Amino acid sequence: MSQNIVVIGGGPGGYAAAFYAADLGMNVKLIDLEKNPGGVCLYRGCIPSKALLHVAKLLNETKEAKEWGIDFGEPQIDLDKLRGFKNKVVSKLTGGLGILSKQRKINFVQGRAKFVSSTSVQVTKEDGSTELISYDKAIIATGSVIATIPSLQIESKRLLNSTSALDLPAIPTSLLVVGGGYIGLELGSVYSALGTQVSVVEFMDRLLPGADQDLVSHLQKRISASFDKIMLQSKVVEIKEVADGLLVRIENKDKQIEEHVFDYVLMSIGRKPHTAGLGLENTKVQINERGWIVADNTLKTNDDNIYAIGDIVGEPMLAHKASHEGRVAVDAISGKKVAFEPLAIPAVVFTDPEIAWAGITENQAKFELAKFPWAASGRATTLDRNDGLTKLIIDPETERILGIGICGPGAGEMIAEGVLAIEMGATVKDLALTIHPHPTLSETVMEAAELFYGHSSHIYKPVKH
Amino acid sequence: MKNFIIPELGENISSATIVKILISVGDIVAPDQPVLELETDKATIEVPSDVSGKVVAINVAEGDSVSIGQAIFSVESAETTDQAKDEPATEEKQVVAAASTKSEERPAEAPQPTAVTSSVQEFKLPELGENISKATIIKVLVDVGEKVSIDQSVLELETDKATIEVPSTASGTITELLVAEGDVIEIGTVIFKVSEGSSVQSQPSAPAAASASAPVVAEKAVEIVPQQAVVADAPKVIPVENQPPILQNAAPAAPSVRRLAREIGVDVNKVKGTGPGGRILLDDVKAYSKALHQQRNEIQHIKAEQHQEPLPDFSKFGEVERQSMSNIRYKTAEHLSYAWHTIPHVTQFDKADITALEEFRKSYAKTAEKQGVKLTVTAILVKIIASALKKFPQFNASVDMQAKEVIYKQYLNIGIAVDTEFGLIVPVIKNADQLNVIEISREMNALAEKARNKKASIADMQGGCFTITNLGGIGGTFFTPIINAPEVAILGVSRGNMEPVYIDGKFEPRLLLPLSLSYDHRVIDGADGIRFLRWVIDAIENPMKFIIEG
Repeated sequence: MSQNIVVIGGGPGGYAAAFYAADLGMNVKLIDLEKNPGGVCLYRGCIPSKALLHVAKLLNETKEAKEWGIDFGEPQIDLDKLRGFKNKVVSKLTGGLGILSKQRKINFVQGRAKFVSSTSVQVTKEDGSTELISYDKAIIATGSVIATIPSLQIESKRLLNSTSALDLPAIPTSLLVVGGGYIGLELGSVYSALGTQVSVVEFMDRLLPGADQDLVSHLQKRISASFDKIMLQSKVVEIKEVADGLLVRIENKDKQIEEHVFDYVLMSIGRKPHTAGLGLENTKVQINERGWIVADNTLKTNDDNIYAIGDIVGEPMLAHKASHEGRVAVDAISGKKVAFEPLAIPAVVFTDPEIAWAGITENQAKFELAKFPWAASGRATTLDRNDGLTKLIIDPETERILGIGICGPGAGEMIAEGVLAIEMGATVKDLALTIHPHPTLSETVMEAAELFYGHSSHIYKPVKH
Repeated sequence: MKNFIIPELGENISSATIVKILISVGDIVAPDQPVLELETDKATIEVPSDVSGKVVAINVAEGDSVSIGQAIFSVESAETTDQAKDEPATEEKQVVAAASTKSEERPAEAPQPTAVTSSVQEFKLPELGENISKATIIKVLVDVGEKVSIDQSVLELETDKATIEVPSTASGTITELLVAEGDVIEIGTVIFKVSEGSSVQSQPSAPAAASASAPVVAEKAVEIVPQQAVVADAPKVIPVENQPPILQNAAPAAPSVRRLAREIGVDVNKVKGTGPGGRILLDDVKAYSKALHQQRNEIQHIKAEQHQEPLPDFSKFGEVERQSMSNIRYKTAEHLSYAWHTIPHVTQFDKADITALEEFRKSYAKTAEKQGVKLTVTAILVKIIASALKKFPQFNASVDMQAKEVIYKQYLNIGIAVDTEFGLIVPVIKNADQLNVIEISREMNALAEKARNKKASIADMQGGCFTITNLGGIGGTFFTPIINAPEVAILGVSRGNMEPVYIDGKFEPRLLLPLSLSYDHRVIDGADGIRFLRWVIDAIENPMKFIIEG
């Protein structure tokens, strides 16, 4: 007798769980509001933003090419066509997921699910009809929603959030990004490349507060040049619609109120879990004071029949964390002794330069560091991009790799090597003795390891010991 | 209120010293949570709790010596450990304190209470881990009629990954046992059926974290079961736990290694890594699992010493038949190999004149029979040996080479080797010094009977100080018995023979009993060996002297 599994939410956590459960022979129903699986990640998040960031990078490089003797002239931007490209990427990928879901004989139900009891959910479909679905085990994967500041939430087409910003309503002459986190900086970079004068307001004293400062500094330097203003330790106190844009009152770091008018404003202060309307009160599921569902290390909630994965169970709110949790939950449901116990969950900010890190950060603990600046990388020099850094965080006693941080073009691709090193309990020696291809940016990982021993080929920096 | 009682720790372990108490009053303990670190004469072991709830009293202190069955601490049932984290328990229902304490002993033959609910549950072999579909049963740890509780180890399995113990997910009294040692079983195979009690569905051996939140109340059918509070109005809000830093308590082990460890029930953080930088390798986890398993088993096996030379192809010389060793045979082989390899044996021979003793024994036989026993030489020897051990305490000892210590025992339990159709076993006569020969005989008969009927319990075989093995019923003169480690001596008895003895200028026919005493030269020197044996012979030949001196 195969188990009946209901997965609520078709994002990267939900569909990964549903697909794996089906692969293990369970009867799976996947419930989502959209026509196909994908969730925020594919429809309104990671994927469309990356399509646009790819374009942004191209635009920036054509400008840089002038320095290398190539002039493309001013780019002609067809916004509708660009939007069309982005939408094609989204529909191709979500449609693909729909097909993969059918191939696995997953029953995909489009609608909004609400728990009626610990063993059943009611799904309300678009046409208003309802369906009661009972299950042996349910997996909640409903993700997170955009966080807002109610006092700043005015009715205006010029006030964007991450969803509407991805729809490219216009190329604003000026844009204020509220929140210097990864969403704001990525979208800000897109609009900046399209020609908008972008400014950023951040409450903290630095951009990307979660990342180590030495990784952020290259990015900060670059966007300081391409962006208009970066206002740290500042906060928006009021937004008002005026004739030619939005009047924004900002309390700066000297506690002075500045007034600026922006063509558009993008609110990107973060995301939050959203459980209202799920009917959790009809189950034994518990939430904590920050709104996250409480789950144990097998992702089981306080209700024995219900598991929860992804953004809804806490940070980091990342797609790859969600899909890994989804598979752990399904393994647990199938009776395997498993737990969600990664040593490292990589984080990537797809700005230019990219910033990526995994494991412990320098902020969290003091350990030995090995930093290899990309000024010494041949490959980085050929790209005319010496503004990068590869950093290893090392346990001095065992020489085990505990963390890795990379800043530079392609950092997001390179971080996986560091994650593997951490997960495998690799030592610095392992990285130093692994032959890396030349000439690539990945060599910087090996060279950072060699630097730890004071014998990196491309940096002269003998160690004291 | 429930008490946590020191469980059986393994053969030959009856007491231990508390090295560390891992809990304190007010703590919430969950089943399987380590609560004590004990030092036994075998090893330092962590003892997991089998009770759950809030610790209200601890009755022992570090450094105390404790024995099996002793109550260590008591707990109050808590509804769930998660909620009990000192959060103002506003809407939690107070748990009705479970009225009955569960009995830890498994009364092997005690009549079972009539089940209130007589549902029959099956215990099936749960998933053992990825890619493990079948396993060989090394040992069945339960028997029909026995009570099992959830998480109690019921099977020892050898998979191609590791040797593992399988905990029960059902509780109750076993009504039917459907497997036997040596069987190759598959996931889902029904192992046994139990009546009364409940079984945990579809969540075989939930990890500690999960089981901690659900109090296991399966032991008794006749108690008020704490109701799971079902609050129907709003999902409960509980405070945010601090997200632990990602690398805290993160053993350097690859994901696949961590996964295997979890699957076979090993806490990877406790495994010592042998790789560079202390990296924990797959083999480290397997070795740790094996060591754990061996530690739980009574004796440290020295596997390495049992490596065997390649066997020739016997079929070249004639027909052969291969039979698998019985469990007892295998254990005996292992145990004796261990003893043979580790103990420097010396065997001392001598003969005792039992002419008078035999005359008396025969004349007394009728009287003994009236009391329902058969008076044997062995029974008399048990009595004499018990006295000899008092005189020669180095014979009532064990050696701890690691600690560089000799352990002297203050009790006198004598084991007697019994030949059964299924192998050699050694039931133990407890406190033999406090019994008279008739009582010893009665005890011997009872134990031998139990052993032959496979009814002997582990307790019947534990705690021996000295072993007597009597082959005289069959014949022979002398032999060299192997010491039943961790004892330090064994007395072999052969058949009494009429022999001419030169007494007062002439040969007289006397009945002489050949005795072979093997002793551990690590603690007993040659002179002591013969002194001991002479004392025993003297006692046999001069009972009056024995009465006065022994």
